[in-house]
Amino acid sequence: MAISFTINGARRSFNGDEEMPLLWHLREEAGLKGTKFGCGIGQCGACTVHLDGDAVRSCSVPMSSLDGASITTIEGLAEGDDLHPVQEAWIEEDVPQCGYCQAGQIMATVAFLKDTPNPTDDDINNGITNLCRCGTYYRIRKAIKRAAENMQTA
Amino acid sequence: MTNLSRRSFLKTSTAAATLTIALSNTPHLIAQATQGGHVTPCLRVDESGNITVCVPIPDMGQGMITTAAQMIAEELSVNLDDVNVELMPFIGHTNDQGRAEFGRFYQGAGGSGSTARIWYEMRRTAAYAKTLLLETAARQWRVPRASLEARNGEIIETYGTRKASYAAFVSDANGKAHEIFTNGVETKPVSKFRVIGKDQRNVEARKIVTGDPIFGLDADVPDMLHAVIKRCPYLNGTMVSYDDTAAKAVPGVRGTMAISRSSSDGAQRTIAAGVAVIADSLWQAKKAAELLDIQWDGSISVDDSSTTIHSKCIAQTKDGSSVRTAVQTGDIDAAFEQATNTIDVTYDHPTWAHTCLEPHSCIAHVDNDKVEIWVSHQFMDSAINAAAGALNISADNVKANFYRMGTGFGRKAEGDFVIEACIIAKEFDAPIKVTWSREDEMEQDYPNHMGAYRVRAATDEQGKLSAWHIRTALDTGNSTIARLFPSDNAPNVLAEGARIPNNISRGAWRGPSHNTGAWVIQSALSEAAYSAGLDPLDFMTALYNDAGTLKSPTWPYHDVDYRRHSILLRKAAKEAGYGKEMPDGWGQGIAVHHTFVSACAHVVDLEMIGDNDYRVHKVTSAIDCGLAVNPLGIRAQVESGIMDGLCAAKYGKLVFEAGVPITNNFDTYQKMRIDEAPPIVNIHIMDFGDTEPRGTGEVSLPPIIPALTNAIFAASGKRIRSLPISENL
Repeated sequence: MAISFTINGARRSFNGDEEMPLLWHLREEAGLKGTKFGCGIGQCGACTVHLDGDAVRSCSVPMSSLDGASITTIEGLAEGDDLHPVQEAWIEEDVPQCGYCQAGQIMATVAFLKDTPNPTDDDINNGITNLCRCGTYYRIRKAIKRAAENMQTA
Repeated sequence: MTNLSRRSFLKTSTAAATLTIALSNTPHLIAQATQGGHVTPCLRVDESGNITVCVPIPDMGQGMITTAAQMIAEELSVNLDDVNVELMPFIGHTNDQGRAEFGRFYQGAGGSGSTARIWYEMRRTAAYAKTLLLETAARQWRVPRASLEARNGEIIETYGTRKASYAAFVSDANGKAHEIFTNGVETKPVSKFRVIGKDQRNVEARKIVTGDPIFGLDADVPDMLHAVIKRCPYLNGTMVSYDDTAAKAVPGVRGTMAISRSSSDGAQRTIAAGVAVIADSLWQAKKAAELLDIQWDGSISVDDSSTTIHSKCIAQTKDGSSVRTAVQTGDIDAAFEQATNTIDVTYDHPTWAHTCLEPHSCIAHVDNDKVEIWVSHQFMDSAINAAAGALNISADNVKANFYRMGTGFGRKAEGDFVIEACIIAKEFDAPIKVTWSREDEMEQDYPNHMGAYRVRAATDEQGKLSAWHIRTALDTGNSTIARLFPSDNAPNVLAEGARIPNNISRGAWRGPSHNTGAWVIQSALSEAAYSAGLDPLDFMTALYNDAGTLKSPTWPYHDVDYRRHSILLRKAAKEAGYGKEMPDGWGQGIAVHHTFVSACAHVVDLEMIGDNDYRVHKVTSAIDCGLAVNPLGIRAQVESGIMDGLCAAKYGKLVFEAGVPITNNFDTYQKMRIDEAPPIVNIHIMDFGDTEPRGTGEVSLPPIIPALTNAIFAASGKRIRSLPISENL
C-alpha cells in the first residue's frame, strides 16, 4: 500500500522500499538536494528537516513511518522570494563558509526558536547540536540571536 | 596570438552554451543587441544581458569565490549585488605529456595561496575586459574613449546623456577577447580600491540558505547509474574473492565490478581495493553493497595499530637510532654545557582525519576515448589528470564540471574518488555516479601524520635561547617540522627526524606539518621561558625581535619578517589583557606561528571545569595576512581555524587496530559542537603596509593549539604534552 505524505505542502505517495531513509527519498526521488547527507547515523544533523513541525534527522527516518506526515525541507522554508527570518539572519551574519551543513543548521534553528523564542547561550548550547565542519559556530550563535530578535519584533 | 591562448579561449567558450564565438580579430562594427558571450574568462553575459563574474578558483568554504569576485569587481566596475558569480571552467592547457596544466590562472585551492596566486592576473584580466568594453562603446558611439567611463556594469558618457549596460557591447567586444593581452593594462593602485579591502559577505549565501544544488554531491546527469563501492578496510589490503549472489538479487542492480588497489606494491595508495555495485538508484546500490560477501587479505598491515606506531615514534625520540639530520648549526653540546637553564621534553599526538562534511562523489561518463566528469575538487588540474590517467587518455579529452565543495581541508585534493568513477564508467554505457559514505570517507582517508617529538632547549644567563635540539619521529619522512623556527635561527641547532614506516597513506591536512609543529614548538618555547623564570610573552617577543627575516624563494610567497611576530604577540596580548588577574581555575595562554608566509597570534582565555575539562571563553587573535582583500572573509577563516584547531587538539584521534581504521563516523570520532565553541572571538587584522595579499585559510589553526595548551597550563599547572587533550588532562 502506498505511503502518502506531503513535502513542502505538495502531496506525494511512495511505493518503494520502506526501509529507505527519508533523506534518500528527498535527494534522489523528490529532487530536493538542499537536504544534505553527512553521516547517515543521525550524528551530524546535515540532513535535518521538519516532520510535522519537529526537527528530525532524515537519514534516520524510514519511509515506513511517514504515512500522513507533513515534511518541510530547506526548499520549503522561504515564501516565494521572502526568506524566513532565520535564513535572513544567516545571510546578515555571513554565517556560511562551505555552506554544506547550513541547511540543516537553519532547519534545526527554526524548530528550536519555535519552542525557545528568546534563547539564552545555554539554551543554544543544549538545543543546537548540528555539526559544522568549518566551525561557523561563533556566527551561528549570533545569527540565532539575531533571528530571535527579528522574529519577536516582526 | 599564441596557440596557448587560443586553446584557453576555446575551452572557456565551449562551456558557455549561449556563446557566440567570434574568432576574427576584426571587431564587428555594428552590434547593438546582446548576443551574449565572454569578455575575457572573468566576464560572461547571457542572451538576456545578465552579467556573470567568473572566478577561477574552487570554493571549499575558504571564500575564494567571494574574494576573487571582489578582485574582478574592483577592476571591472561592477556591483557584486547586481551580478551573478560563478566558478569558471578549467582554462589551462594540455602539455606535451598529455597532462592538464594551469594557464592564465592558478585554479587550485591549497597552501593558503589562492588569493596571492591570482592577485595580479585576475585584476589585469578584469581591467582588460573593462578596457575592451570601453573601446567598443567608443567605436559604436563614435566618441573618444576618454569621454566614457565604466561604472556599476554600465558604460556612461561622462558629459553626455548616453549610457548602456556592458551587455550592449559584449558580442562586439568578445571578438577580441581571445587575445588576453593584459600586459600594459593598468590596474588600480591600492589607494583607489573601493571593493578590495571592504567586508563582502559570501556571494553564494542565498543559494546556500535556500538549499540550491551547488555541491558536487548534488550533481545529477540524465540516465546516470549509481555505484557504491565496498572498499578494503585494511590499510593497503587486497581483495581475495567475493560472492555477489545476494547483492545481484536486489532489484535495480545492474552488475558488480572488482577494483584493484593501486599502486599494488604497498606504497602510497592511489585507490583502494574494492567491489562496486552498480544500480539504478543510490539506495539500491547502497543496500546491495551491504550484501556483498568479500574476502579481504589484510595481512600486509596487520601490525599497524595506533598504539604500536605511537610506541615506535616515542622509542625513536629516545634512542634516535634512525634519525637523519635536517639542520645543524653551531655547537649544540657546548651550548647545553654552558646553559643556565634547560628543558628536555617529549610531545606526541595521534592521527587526525579530515572528515570533509560532504562525502566524496564523482560522476563520470566515458564515451570512447573521451570522458566528462562532474565533481567537487580542490585542484582542477589534478581532477582532470586523475581522470585522464585512469583512462590512459590525454587531458584534452577530459571535460570537467566543477562544483562547490562541502569542505576540503586537503582531502579533496586527492584523485581517488575521480579515478574510481572513471574506471567504473569505462565499463558502462551510462554516466556513473560514485557516492561515498561517511565510513568510506574516514576509512579511506589520507589523514594527517602521527608523531612524537623530543625537544631540548637551553637558555643563557640573560634568558635568551642559546640552543635548540628537536628530534621528530613521524610516520612521514617529512622534515618540515624539524626545520621550523627556531631551527632556522637559534645560535646552536640540531634538528633531526626519523620516519616510522607504516601502511597509512597520508595527505595534506589543513596547515600540513604546521598544524602540529606549531603546538610542539610554541609549547616548548613556553616551557623554556618558564624554566628561565620568564613569562612566555616577554621571552618570545625578544626572541622574534632578534630573529631577522626568513627568505621565501618562490612566488607568490613573500619573506617572513619575524619582527612582525612580536607585534602580533603584543597586539593579541594587549587586546586580551594578557597577564591580568584571573579567578582561580582560569588561565590565559599565548602563541604565534607563521604558516606559509602569513602569521597569527592568539590568546586563549579558559576556565577549568573540574580537573579534566575546560571551557574556552574567549579567543583574541592578531593576524598578518598581508593586504586584506575581504576582512569579513578573513575573520571567518580565522574563526574557522580556531574551531578546527580547538577541536582537533581536544578530540582528534583516528584509531587503527591491526590495520583497520575503527573510528569511522561521528559516533566514534568526536567533533566539537556549538556548546564548546568560544562565544567570544576578537580578531585583529594587522596592516603592515603590504600591497599584496599573503593568504589566510590555514594560518590561524596551528597557533591556536599551543595557545590552548599554554592556557591550560596557566589555569591548572598541567602541561599537555600528549594529544588529544580529552584523554590526557
